[in-house]
Amino acid sequence: MTTPSPIVPPQLPLRFLRWFCDPDLLEDVEGDLNELYQRRMSVNPTKARRLYYRDVMLLFRPGIIRNVTFSFTNPSDMLQHHLLTALRHALRYKGYTLLNLLGLIVGITASILLLLWIRDEVSMDQFHTKSDRIYQVWRNMYQSSGEVITTQAIPQPLAFVLDNEYPEIEAVTVLSWSMPLLFRHEEEFSYESGRFASPEFFRIFSFPILLGNPETVLQNPQGVLISESLALKYFGTHWRTEVLDQTFQIDDTQTFAVTGVFQDPGIHSSLQFDWLLPADYFIQQNEWMESWHNGGFNIYFTLRQDADIAAVQSKVTHEINEHTNFAADERLYLQKFAENYLYSTFENGIPTEGRLQYVKILSMVALFILLIACVNYMNLATARAGKRSKEIGLRKTLGAAKRSLSLQFFTESFLLAFLSVIAALLAAKLALPFFNHITGKSLTLDLFHPHVWMGMAGITILTGFLAGSYPALLIPSFPVVNALKGTIKHSEASQLFRNGLVIFQFALSMLLIIGTLVISQQIYYILHKHLGLDKENLIYVDLSGELSRQADSYKTQLQQIPEVKQVTFTSGNPLDYHRSTGSADWQGKDPNESVEINVLNVDTDFFETMGVELLQGRAFSEFMTTDTSHYIINEVTADLIGFDDPIGQDFSIWGNQGKIIGMVRNFHMSSLYEPFEPLVLRYDPRSTSVAFIRTQHNVQAALQGVEKITKKMNPAYPFQYNFLDQTYENTYRNEIALGTLVKIFAAVSMFIACLGLLGLSSYAADQRSKEISVRKVHGAHVLQLMMMLCRKYALLLGIAFVIAAPTAYYCTQQWLDNFVFRIHPDPALFLLAGVMAFLIGMLTISFKSYQAANVNPVQKLRNE
Amino acid sequence: MGKYAIGEFEEIVMLTVAVLYDNAYGITIKEEIENRLDRTVSVGAMRTALKRLEKKGFLRSAFGEATAVRGGKRKRFYKVTPYGKHALEQVMETRQRLWKAIPSIAFDFKKT
Repeated sequence: MTTPSPIVPPQLPLRFLRWFCDPDLLEDVEGDLNELYQRRMSVNPTKARRLYYRDVMLLFRPGIIRNVTFSFTNPSDMLQHHLLTALRHALRYKGYTLLNLLGLIVGITASILLLLWIRDEVSMDQFHTKSDRIYQVWRNMYQSSGEVITTQAIPQPLAFVLDNEYPEIEAVTVLSWSMPLLFRHEEEFSYESGRFASPEFFRIFSFPILLGNPETVLQNPQGVLISESLALKYFGTHWRTEVLDQTFQIDDTQTFAVTGVFQDPGIHSSLQFDWLLPADYFIQQNEWMESWHNGGFNIYFTLRQDADIAAVQSKVTHEINEHTNFAADERLYLQKFAENYLYSTFENGIPTEGRLQYVKILSMVALFILLIACVNYMNLATARAGKRSKEIGLRKTLGAAKRSLSLQFFTESFLLAFLSVIAALLAAKLALPFFNHITGKSLTLDLFHPHVWMGMAGITILTGFLAGSYPALLIPSFPVVNALKGTIKHSEASQLFRNGLVIFQFALSMLLIIGTLVISQQIYYILHKHLGLDKENLIYVDLSGELSRQADSYKTQLQQIPEVKQVTFTSGNPLDYHRSTGSADWQGKDPNESVEINVLNVDTDFFETMGVELLQGRAFSEFMTTDTSHYIINEVTADLIGFDDPIGQDFSIWGNQGKIIGMVRNFHMSSLYEPFEPLVLRYDPRSTSVAFIRTQHNVQAALQGVEKITKKMNPAYPFQYNFLDQTYENTYRNEIALGTLVKIFAAVSMFIACLGLLGLSSYAADQRSKEISVRKVHGAHVLQLMMMLCRKYALLLGIAFVIAAPTAYYCTQQWLDNFVFRIHPDPALFLLAGVMAFLIGMLTISFKSYQAANVNPVQKLRNE
Repeated sequence: MGKYAIGEFEEIVMLTVAVLYDNAYGITIKEEIENRLDRTVSVGAMRTALKRLEKKGFLRSAFGEATAVRGGKRKRFYKVTPYGKHALEQVMETRQRLWKAIPSIAFDFKKT
């Protein structure tokens, strides 16, 4: 070799060239470029550099680029060898392998479960073949207060307008809310929930029809369609041959013949129904539906394939206003039906995330847990690399390339990932029933489904790669001589990185713990907040059939049960009440102002039974005959009408003139996501539909008494009852499920992070065993030694907390902001979470540290 | 062009290699073409052409000596093989036959 030339060409392109160039060509190509560069340098140095870059770039072309086949001498043999050593290594250090596997298995199991949940959420309503063209009409009622009330109850005539005046629209259907009707077939009867729908229903939605002609099933005005499970229930397993043209007496008024059977809507449909009846029948019975002033059914339509939804939206916005002469400001909003489920919450008339938020939160949790598990592996593998330094050194001396060593470490991580995924799949399968129980879903995990395999391959690759990347990069770059001597000193940077990883793990775990605490506090708040009425020990029964006809007698009989304290009849469940009118009027009301006020019909026992507090005035009295035309309002309504003293003022609803005789404390009529709503109570016992029964002493006895009386008075109807507090709790099922999920997964993440800490601290103790022994010989106390070993980790956990607390604060505020009625978490709560995580972490470390510090120093010092 | 697939640039490269005879390596070939034909040649284009020609058997190559100016890298000298010469002759003959076949009137532009 001659001495290198004094003029050196640019290094960056040269390195690039050396990397990509075919080794056969490299020598003279590089020589040529060098020679050219020398010549050009004597003319114009800058241009020479530029041209050098250019030439290298132009050389990057097929024919010059090396062949991209891996040139292992014998890849399959190498792989076999790597697998073998990985296995031997795993078996040799059983404790270490166990820690790693356990962390990965738990982490992957958690991720699999969460992935299943997420997939289920996201696939909601996506099964309709036209799902990208199905839209639902929403109605935004702009209140004078600036609030926007959004509802899916649309005035019926809009369906005709959409059908006839909008060429962009393919088909329109109207669908009622889900209502329970009494179905009676021969001797059998029971309440079944279903909906009224117009014939186009099956042209828009793809619910499979098992029997009957989808084109005509809903056209027969005397026909009813039932679900498969309903058919099974009433006609047994041979329903296929028997069910058609059988009759049901529905609501004891009219007889309908079965025209078809549809498959149960299933868990991936947000629309649930067990029967479908022709919408026209319902509309004929309820003439108020035909007015532009009243909200009615939901309206869905399909857009033509080439049509633009924006154009339809701008046209449709003011349809109600135009047909009602702007009596109130009500604008229509179109939303893709498939998006309803995830974007179910409306804020100021615009859909916001709603459930999507939960999907996002839990996706993050799944990712966090997987990351924490991968970080564990990285940390343990690199920390223990010292143990393997001889092996690595020897391999290098024998000519193993860096790439081959990296491959070895990747083989190990992939092997472990693969084993963990298999174990995790089984674990997830076992945990699924429990998980379903918490989430209220019916998720399934079919181990032999190709999607599952693909997902598992994905997780294996992701985990194997994430977990293996750092060791595979770091370990092969140890200097050979040091590695052989076994004196691997971890560089500053790699120690820093490992500490960073520990901080990262614990910050994530603390984040989850804080999240858990905040969510469970909010849920506790929701369930125990005083709602303005006493929801405990309240049974309610629908007033159906004879009960409604003989209401007075029913009430008297109920009151005679010793375990029944009070009874009141109302027109609905006050905790979930949405029957409002815009017709309220009072003195001094701005004629242009439009306000929706809820109207609840009650009897005289309402206030005592429900525990609603009367703030001013008096309650209704059965001795004052004029009370039927008087009103009692709540605080919100009082603010709205604006009198200093509302008592005695004139007030009217639906044109019925009366006076305000009392004011009650606000109680919640919808979820805590919403503010209090205006309410007017009317004394109208004839128009009530639900009996609320306050029990005392023995609830079971009370229930038996109620059942006996109800069945005797109303034998034709099944006895159905609910507890008010349970119904209330059910409306927050999602929140409660979220709380439980986050709680479990926070524990899981903490567990995995601690596993990692256990591994790291035991390794550190192991490495410093001589130092500990020497210190001990010199008189160091066990406690001092433990302090020494724990100090570093204490610092790391402290930093983790400093990172986690503000992040958690931000995240939890985001979630809490959804609620109008919410907690304001105490800083102490954050500290508590931090201290908890800290203590658990420290306990883990001191476990190993104590063992290390307690060893007899002779044992460690003997074999020098 | 018959059984010998040679592109125009490849033909030029081969001819230049023949012209340079004893001194045909990367840089000289590039410069010879640039000087004689008055066109720029990128290292990349030339390299691929040389490699292709060698693969087809029209050229053969051997390493020369390393020099300081080349950063200690050896030159690769190219020679035309007899097979390559045959191919070049074939190309030339084909051309000439075509030229001869052109009626004189075809290039007489004054009449039109």
